[in-house]
Amino acid sequence: MHSLDIPSLPVVTGASFVRSLEGIHEYRLDANGLQILLAPDPNALVAGIMVTYRVGSRNEAIGYTGATHLLEHLMFKGSDNFNKEKGGTIWELLETKGALVNATTWNDRTNYFEVVPQEHLPVAITLEADRMRRAFLKEEDRLSEMPVVRNEFERGENLPMEALDKQLWALAYQAHPYHHSTIGWRSDIEQVPIARLKKFYDDFYHPDNATISIVGGFDAVSTLAAIVKEFGVHGKAPVAFPAMYTEEPRQEGERRAVVKRVGHTNMIAFAHKIPGATDADLPALLLLSLILSDGKTSRLYRALVDRAIATDVSTQCYQFRDPSLLISYITLAPRVKHEVVEKSIKQEFKKIIAQGVTALELTRAKRSLRAYIASRRDGPYALLSSLNEEIATGDWTRFVTLPQALARVTVKDVQKVAKKYLVDDQSTVGYFIGMPV
Amino acid sequence: MKNEHVPAQEFPMAGGGRLFIASTYAHDVVVVEGSVLGGPTMLPAPLDVIPGLAAELLDAGTPKKKKSVIREALAGRGISLAFSSSGDRTFFSGRCFPEDLSFLLGTISESLNEASFPEAEVKNIKARALGELAEEKSDTRAQAERALTELLYDPLHENYVRPIKDQEKSIVTTRRLHLQNFRKILGRGGLVLAIVGDIETDSARAAAEKAFNKLGEGTMSAPAKHMNKKIQSTEEKLIPIADKANIDVVLGASLPLSVHHQLYHPTKVLTDMLGGGFSAHLMQTIRERDGLTYGVSATLAGLSTGADGYFKIWATFSPQRYEESIAKLRIEVDIFFSRGLTETALTKRQEEIAGSYLVALATTANLAASLHAIGTLGFDLSYLTEYPNIIRAVSLEDIKSAAELIPRHKLSLAASGTF
Repeated sequence: MHSLDIPSLPVVTGASFVRSLEGIHEYRLDANGLQILLAPDPNALVAGIMVTYRVGSRNEAIGYTGATHLLEHLMFKGSDNFNKEKGGTIWELLETKGALVNATTWNDRTNYFEVVPQEHLPVAITLEADRMRRAFLKEEDRLSEMPVVRNEFERGENLPMEALDKQLWALAYQAHPYHHSTIGWRSDIEQVPIARLKKFYDDFYHPDNATISIVGGFDAVSTLAAIVKEFGVHGKAPVAFPAMYTEEPRQEGERRAVVKRVGHTNMIAFAHKIPGATDADLPALLLLSLILSDGKTSRLYRALVDRAIATDVSTQCYQFRDPSLLISYITLAPRVKHEVVEKSIKQEFKKIIAQGVTALELTRAKRSLRAYIASRRDGPYALLSSLNEEIATGDWTRFVTLPQALARVTVKDVQKVAKKYLVDDQSTVGYFIGMPV
Repeated sequence: MKNEHVPAQEFPMAGGGRLFIASTYAHDVVVVEGSVLGGPTMLPAPLDVIPGLAAELLDAGTPKKKKSVIREALAGRGISLAFSSSGDRTFFSGRCFPEDLSFLLGTISESLNEASFPEAEVKNIKARALGELAEEKSDTRAQAERALTELLYDPLHENYVRPIKDQEKSIVTTRRLHLQNFRKILGRGGLVLAIVGDIETDSARAAAEKAFNKLGEGTMSAPAKHMNKKIQSTEEKLIPIADKANIDVVLGASLPLSVHHQLYHPTKVLTDMLGGGFSAHLMQTIRERDGLTYGVSATLAGLSTGADGYFKIWATFSPQRYEESIAKLRIEVDIFFSRGLTETALTKRQEEIAGSYLVALATTANLAASLHAIGTLGFDLSYLTEYPNIIRAVSLEDIKSAAELIPRHKLSLAASGTF
């Protein structure tokens, strides 16, 4: 196997070295607290930059659900030094050079990224620094962009799984803002005022609430110097970031959601409350999710798909900053009743709780995770994206420590978390029922 | 290696196959993309569901090994492997650790050579296939895409997709023997294999030869391509589905053009100029200026098997603004063709395609897919490195010639949603 080639550490005035783990070097911009992660790869011809803001739909409330995402769209409308009038939009300067340009929003974070032929990296750094504090947020842009976002919402509504998922989270969470999906409620998308979006920007878009990650082919010293120069012009946030202090009250019984729509798709989703990403139980829960439905040898695949009562099954162990959900999604085969599949799934959960999993199952799950861990470094975007999700949990070093923690998980640990979390009273069951055309 | 971003080599395989190996800097990742001749377009219409069903069961048992033995052996090594079939090929796609490459290739070969299609599995896969078709009936995008091929192609053309009810009938009447007979005709014929990632070239080559030399010769040969005989006209088909918040729309026209046509690359560049990304004409107007859609794109489709393909625009619109949106879309297509073909726009798009090609090849999976496509389409390996130069060599005159191929005033339309 090829070994990872780790270059020496760059030293640049204005950026303090924090630590280095497995080829990822962390710095802190002295002027404003911006977190910097550099992962240079001397063999790569392509470089990637991602700015992750620690703000997401978790920081929204009634009336401005979807604000983080709508703001993300508006952040592409230009900034003081990069805009249509100056002939320098991100599309003109980077996409037309072949860059992969985009942004995404989720519960705990918002990210902006460019994967570029390496000679275009300096422009991407300058542009991201500019829009961190100098983005245009105009009412005319909100008016033109709102229908775009609404159509994105409408696209999602066409998908049975997305429609069911929204209801599941809305029912599982009653107080905590994971209650609403990142895209927000339709009426909020349509009516949130530009002033609220500006406030959101001013509340959260500051260097001390962000991480810039740069990976792939780049010169570490000149790149770090460019970050210090371009981002160093911004000060820290003038006031403390608004705290999100709402905690979800303890659930006291199974909850059930039903979505009925005309169509031929029938689905079930099973959600169980689990702790936040940095909890010690998470590694075992991740392995449990793989044992449940990763591949054709998994428990649920064999119990449902191999028996032709379902056409598809997947389980997601959502790793969020706050307590989250472990959800199994099942698409039913034609003419199979929801109740039949629900009974089968519950039986599988009971079996794991009572008998645990086998050593072979755990070994398979760990091999699968080894494949996933390797895939996280397969190309600049994969690495950026993986780092981004760990940053969102509050601790990027989890990128390095999680594989170590996964390796230590035993079959007893998996059974323990199954007993602890696959509890009916902590579950939310969702039916998507296709109604006759 | 640093200056040679595509360190790929090609080796001939017994029986005329093509083996591509690229040892890259990827760590602990090996991707295998491959295919052999044998797919739905080689069978008459009522039987064209057989290759897809057979592919799903290639790892579901052989006379010597039960399904569980095969699948647990793969899972125990962390290997992912999937078979599929479309066009004139049966495909396999795998991912493994470096030490398991021989095992993965051996399993692929064994599956192609010996899959036995147990009766219970055949019953199961038919039920699942019917379920997936049922789901498709309320999928607006799938419905629109399927309808467009019906509008553009004659039923004998390989890009024509049969109505769901016809496919359902075919699935119901499929028997185990059909799958077994189909498997017998698969072999080394037309084998294309790409192995990319954390590997040593010599050992990967040896592993590939050892595994696939065991594969029978097969009896499939690539059929001559049937050119579309349907005369183009402006047709519209609306597929209403209740309870849908969004309408999927596809507009298109079949083209007398395959990837080997002299105007293929100009047509590709032209299509990208119109709708190949955020900076392209349609996104800048229909989305960015007018706010009518989350996404609109223009692509060339139906070309991956070497057939004559089609030009397609896909967009999504709110039901409330559907008529207005379609009208604007048609106007912008016309404006692009009449005013948008400029040297400046061409140069920008050429740089974008060349740059994004480099970006895309930075992953193991994309490099493997590119090599496999080169093999199946009959290009020389040099196409991998020459592609950006080919794109940059396209002239404005070429673009204008390509534009003549696209009947922009005769685009057919298929749309699905709640009208």
